[in-house]
Amino acid sequence: MNKELEHSFVEELEKNQNIVHKVCRIYTNNQEAHNDLFQEITIQLWKAYPKFRGDSKFSTWMYRVGLNTAITLYRKRKRSIKTETFDAFQYKIKSEPYDDTEEEQLKLLYKAVHQLNDIEKALVFLYLEDKSYKEISETIGISEVNARVKMNRVKTKLRTILNP
Amino acid sequence: MDELELLKKDWKKNEDTKYPKLSYKEIYGMILKKSSSIVKWIFIISILEFAFWTLISFAFKNTEYNKRFESYHAENIMIPFLILGYIILGYFFYKFYMNYRTISATDSAKILMENILKTRRTVKQYVGFNLIYLALSAFIALGVQFDRDEEMISLVEKASANGEIFKFYAVTIILTLVFLGLLIAIILGFYYLIYGILLKRLNRNYRELKKLEV
Repeated sequence: MNKELEHSFVEELEKNQNIVHKVCRIYTNNQEAHNDLFQEITIQLWKAYPKFRGDSKFSTWMYRVGLNTAITLYRKRKRSIKTETFDAFQYKIKSEPYDDTEEEQLKLLYKAVHQLNDIEKALVFLYLEDKSYKEISETIGISEVNARVKMNRVKTKLRTILNP
Repeated sequence: MDELELLKKDWKKNEDTKYPKLSYKEIYGMILKKSSSIVKWIFIISILEFAFWTLISFAFKNTEYNKRFESYHAENIMIPFLILGYIILGYFFYKFYMNYRTISATDSAKILMENILKTRRTVKQYVGFNLIYLALSAFIALGVQFDRDEEMISLVEKASANGEIFKFYAVTIILTLVFLGLLIAIILGFYYLIYGILLKRLNRNYRELKKLEV
């Protein structure tokens, strides 16, 4: 029984692992931290899996557990030494030729996102993932109105970071 | 273009190729590893706290002081006091365990944080209870000693013969208070440090969420 559960879980996660990578991308800025967070999210997903009833999609459920781990549950395993900054950490964003100004702007944007606090990062992440405000508010646990208000503030904050 | 729209455009680009692809085996390896989550740490520290206070009460059992105390025959006060202590310990342990069980990573971020803080609060109340219990026991013990300890009684008589009875009581009580105060300050400082470090991020994020509601 347990083996079966393990198998179905690992298979699902393997299929949907991008979601976890994306959470890690928002919350960490070097390879080591990325792997460490990925590991913890995987453990938390696995621990919560027996309670996953399938009344929501596996991927939807993953967003919730993934963000909860990043925002609340996660504690660094090792003291991570900042060897690589996010800029150097490649997500193969350069696979297509960008014009220089856009590429430069994107770099600054990612850097700015990393300066946001944990809750703001969660909002940005869910926004980038095209989640509705309803889903955003349910994942974070605030009202839909407040999610909208906060999202607007985050946009302003990003703009201020980019154009001080 | 809106900054976030630009980001989103890039975010969605090449989604399938830009992230690492972990194999079935690698993911399987991960679920066998141990979690290092904050909840686990709170759980471990709380258990240590319960153990610490229980051990303290046992450590007192065989001391000289305790033996001398037994000779006062103050069981009618001490035994109910002890039983009360155990009942309250049981209550806190039950409450802590129930709180711990409600923590679920599938709740919303806010509820999850609230549930974690709730287990923390239970342990905090337990520690508070222990400190009050400690202070009360110290004063009950002092009262019993004034009443039944021969050495103490002779000291009281001597002091009263010299007309310094008030001073004697005052000094004894103040010394006890100072000693208790120091002990409590050390214990509280220790907790403050541990939980301050452990819960710094959680408290910050919880405050941030709270702020959104106003």
